[in-house]
Amino acid sequence: MKNPIFDIENWREIGTTLAQNKTRTFMTAFGIFWGTAILSLLIGGSEGLKYFMGRNFEGFATNVAIIFPGRTTKSYAGFNKGMPVELNLQDVVNIRRAIPQIENSSALIYMWANVLYDRKKASAQMTGVESNYDKIFEPIIHEGRFINDADDANFRKVCVLGKQVAGELFGTGSALGKDVQVNGIYYKVIGVVGQTSEINIGAKMDESVFIPYNTMRRSYNIGTRVHNFMMTLKAGYSPSEFETLVRRLIASNHPIAPDDNNAIFYFDVSEQFKMVDNVFLGISMLALFVGVGTLLSGVIGVGNIMWIIVRERTHEIGIRRAIGAKPRDIIVQILSESMVLTTIAGVAGIVLAAGILAGAEKSMFYTIKFQLTFAQAVYILATFLVLGTAAGIIPAVKAMKIKPIEALNDK
Amino acid sequence: MIIELKDVNKSYPGVVPLHVLKDINLSIDRGELVSIMGASGSGKSTLLNILGILDNYDSGEYRLDGNLIKNLSENKAADLRNYLIGFVFQSFNLINYKNALENVALPLFYRGISRKKRNILAMEQLDRMGMKDRATHLPGELSGGQKQRVAIARALITNPSLLLADEPTGALDSKTSREVMQVFRDLNAEGRTIVIVTHDPGVGEQTNRIIRISDGRIVS
Repeated sequence: MKNPIFDIENWREIGTTLAQNKTRTFMTAFGIFWGTAILSLLIGGSEGLKYFMGRNFEGFATNVAIIFPGRTTKSYAGFNKGMPVELNLQDVVNIRRAIPQIENSSALIYMWANVLYDRKKASAQMTGVESNYDKIFEPIIHEGRFINDADDANFRKVCVLGKQVAGELFGTGSALGKDVQVNGIYYKVIGVVGQTSEINIGAKMDESVFIPYNTMRRSYNIGTRVHNFMMTLKAGYSPSEFETLVRRLIASNHPIAPDDNNAIFYFDVSEQFKMVDNVFLGISMLALFVGVGTLLSGVIGVGNIMWIIVRERTHEIGIRRAIGAKPRDIIVQILSESMVLTTIAGVAGIVLAAGILAGAEKSMFYTIKFQLTFAQAVYILATFLVLGTAAGIIPAVKAMKIKPIEALNDK
Repeated sequence: MIIELKDVNKSYPGVVPLHVLKDINLSIDRGELVSIMGASGSGKSTLLNILGILDNYDSGEYRLDGNLIKNLSENKAADLRNYLIGFVFQSFNLINYKNALENVALPLFYRGISRKKRNILAMEQLDRMGMKDRATHLPGELSGGQKQRVAIARALITNPSLLLADEPTGALDSKTSREVMQVFRDLNAEGRTIVIVTHDPGVGEQTNRIIRISDGRIVS
């Protein structure tokens, strides 16, 4: 016999056999159809869940440390405990000098503000930022640009509006180049931004007005005060490595006891992300566990049906052997039938699951991504194909062990 | 000499092994029409199964058309069955989800002959059996005699050296039996070697040579 894969006769034979045994074909196909559909839904669902959770952290660097002051809890250098700590530019300079591993950093100050334009008014949180802020907390730029080095260095009176603030003042029109009044001082709007993640430092970006740090401290007589300091580290360094150093640097500049850990808060975001990563891992493991279970029961189901089919067809196999079918012909026939079935039913199952997932995506209130990738679909199909065929090999080989005459006498 | 058996023994294992064929010596010439007769349990069907390479034997020698049939691989046995032997069974053994034409053509499928050619040859055989107008019928839609004609057509399509029939008229009424026997006689007249196993003396009478078997031995 020729190679069965390229032999049209073989395919015709399979087609007739499957078409002539509709109930059997349908039952087998349904088992595979169901298995692939459930597995696809499971994988799609867990992807969607991951996407949904991951969206919360989008645009936020994961190796961020945020440093903000608290109150002393120990008396030191003649000061009573309970003294509020204030960070200043000297701390920022010290930290930057001592830690060359910093990639991006920004001093920040906050102030509640009324933003006026024409006769409209909006409330917002004014945030003074240095130009690297947008690399730590990446905004969506709706219009214009973010604050840059030159704005900060030259004390420019420019501002970047949050999307919501811009909407309240300008409606659907462009805010770019307009002069808005923030707490009594005019700034030119250079950009409109929003955020994707659900992480907030202070207010949401959409409800903020950003102006250069230096402009802000000069405009409102803030002096050298810094409300908090954010930094990201170069690849390969984690924020927790520098906690002790940062505490010591700040303590050396203020009357803080060196062992007073409550005077300064050092918030290591990467620790939080590790937790989230574990949740993600948990979801993946659960999906994998249930998926392997589904796969296994699907394969056992296919194997069972193949077993019954081979039993049922022992007599037919006997006839075929009496008229000259070789063992290989029979095995190839049984396995090709199961492969054809698996492919068709598997594709149908995946298509159904893809349809349901697409429907789920549309009906969701949020933008969410449930859909399988093409590669995932191919993997699911291939897995079923390989395992389903393997499950058919045992009964097929077993059927060959029966002598032709015994097979013929099997009714 | 197409069939040559020398001291062939066969027993079925069990608590008490059943010795069904005892020192069978038999030769059949090309072109013979032979019947093997015996009571139920005499071993005649076992003998036919061994002749058809559907079953093996314990000791002795069996030569079919010059080939020694002993410890053959299943592939070689399948080839010999396909090329040398045509089977006709009491219960027809047609594949019930294939129509008459497909059933007849099936042996050629295992020779790798194209569908088109297969169907032409199968139609010729059906025509010879007077079954051309039933070519697209499923076995379930045919009468016993028609089914046996389809089965004979299937046995003949490979142009085998030997036609083996196991109680070919066992499931048929007397009129159809006569018709089927006539078919065998006609085929024999064309020079084909035919071995028929039967317990029906009426069938035996219509063959040229009767081999009687009783209790695992050839008695005449």
